[in-house]
Amino acid sequence: MRYLLAILFFGALVAIYIVLYLMNKKTPKPEGCEDLKADCDGCKDFACTNNPAHNQVKGE
Amino acid sequence: MNRFENFKAGLIKDNPVFSLFLGICSTLAITTTVNNAIGMGVSVIIVLIMSNVIISCVRKITPDEIRIPVYIVIIATLVKIIQMLIQAYAPSLNTSLGVFIPLIVVNCIILGRAEAFASKNGILDSALDGLGMGLGYTLAVLAMSFIRELISTGGIKVVNPFNEAQVWLNLHIIPENFTISIFGSSVGAFITFAVLAAAVGAYKQHVTAKEEAAAKEEK
Amino acid sequence: MGELMALLVTSVLVNNVILTQFLGMCPFMGVSKKKSSAIGMGVAVVFVIVVAALVTYALYYLVLVPLHLEFMDLITFILVIASLVQLTEMFIKKTSPALYKSLGVYLPLITTNCVVLNVCLVNISNSYNFAQMLVYSIGTPLGFALVLFIFSTIRERLEQSEVPNAFVGNPIALIVAAIMAMAFSCFTGIV
Repeated sequence: MRYLLAILFFGALVAIYIVLYLMNKKTPKPEGCEDLKADCDGCKDFACTNNPAHNQVKGE
Repeated sequence: MNRFENFKAGLIKDNPVFSLFLGICSTLAITTTVNNAIGMGVSVIIVLIMSNVIISCVRKITPDEIRIPVYIVIIATLVKIIQMLIQAYAPSLNTSLGVFIPLIVVNCIILGRAEAFASKNGILDSALDGLGMGLGYTLAVLAMSFIRELISTGGIKVVNPFNEAQVWLNLHIIPENFTISIFGSSVGAFITFAVLAAAVGAYKQHVTAKEEAAAKEEK
Repeated sequence: MGELMALLVTSVLVNNVILTQFLGMCPFMGVSKKKSSAIGMGVAVVFVIVVAALVTYALYYLVLVPLHLEFMDLITFILVIASLVQLTEMFIKKTSPALYKSLGVYLPLITTNCVVLNVCLVNISNSYNFAQMLVYSIGTPLGFALVLFIFSTIRERLEQSEVPNAFVGNPIALIVAAIMAMAFSCFTGIV
């Protein structure tokens, strides 16, 4: 019973995260803010959504 | 690049710590003793190989848009399992590594390799890549901890993580009076890391210079 | 009250998160090349950590402990932190372009920042009460921002000096960090 609760809780958190992630990806950046990557050197960090890896189609 | 080349590259030329500067947080913190370095290195290898394999297995069924969140979730679950196993079977390792076991989740190496390699290649290739990068990481932390422990305490001591009383190795090389204890603290960590990173950088420059010279001669 | 002040000083100076605990090195090396980016990153980190610490603390004691699900802590924290960052970024994009320009870019980099996860985990493992948790969660990113700012000013000057070839870039930055660590280690006797 406890483990079922854990799996449901886990599923709820994952769902919330994925929904927020997709919503964030779809909101456009305000004008004038397109090209702000220049200052940042963290491009090896793949969880950062500024990383170009997030916009590439898989396999290309 | 064939798989053996890729495996070899992970060891020195593309060493994740000294060359790509990934996973620096844990490298600096746990390299106070060789014992910790071995424990952490082995944990990272296991998590890397397993996460690479799992992500390679699911790469064809994850929707492309949400693959990065999915990878984060897979890695978090794996690390939690490993943490619980370490807490149960090697408690001394748990106390000395402390909070850095759960911090493997945010270790840039794992997510970086998952995205750069495992999401695009087959299972065996990904496993070998994980092994190569994990071994590169372990080599790096072993080198750093060897230097730091030797200079700060004068010797090396390795104990069995599953049974604290069993000492595997106990060397005393430098006498007590000549040890520089600052190498055990954060200052020493930064200095050692900087020097080793510069050494690897110089080696890489040397190798690329040679390759360019050879390429020019062929023309 | 005195105990909280001691906790504040400890988390900002004595146990400084970058120089003593070695956390947050990735953004430390990456974002410290210019003063302006350092300030932006510092403010973003303070904001994210305070909010994330509050939410994860609440979730742990109000949901996980009553249901005996403590083993879910790591996964919960990481998912909550990541979701919070996405939510904050979306919110800033829609409400304030000026704010987005100055610190919005650094928000995603904080998702895998060791500091956030560490603060959340330490709040639980040290069993802080609410006031202690608040002080610790404000002090730690303040220490991070302080060191990041000082470091960026030094690095800006470093651009104009002659550095041996092998040391250019990250190695010389690490040596600077070593010297700063030496300077900050003089704070150990204060509390």
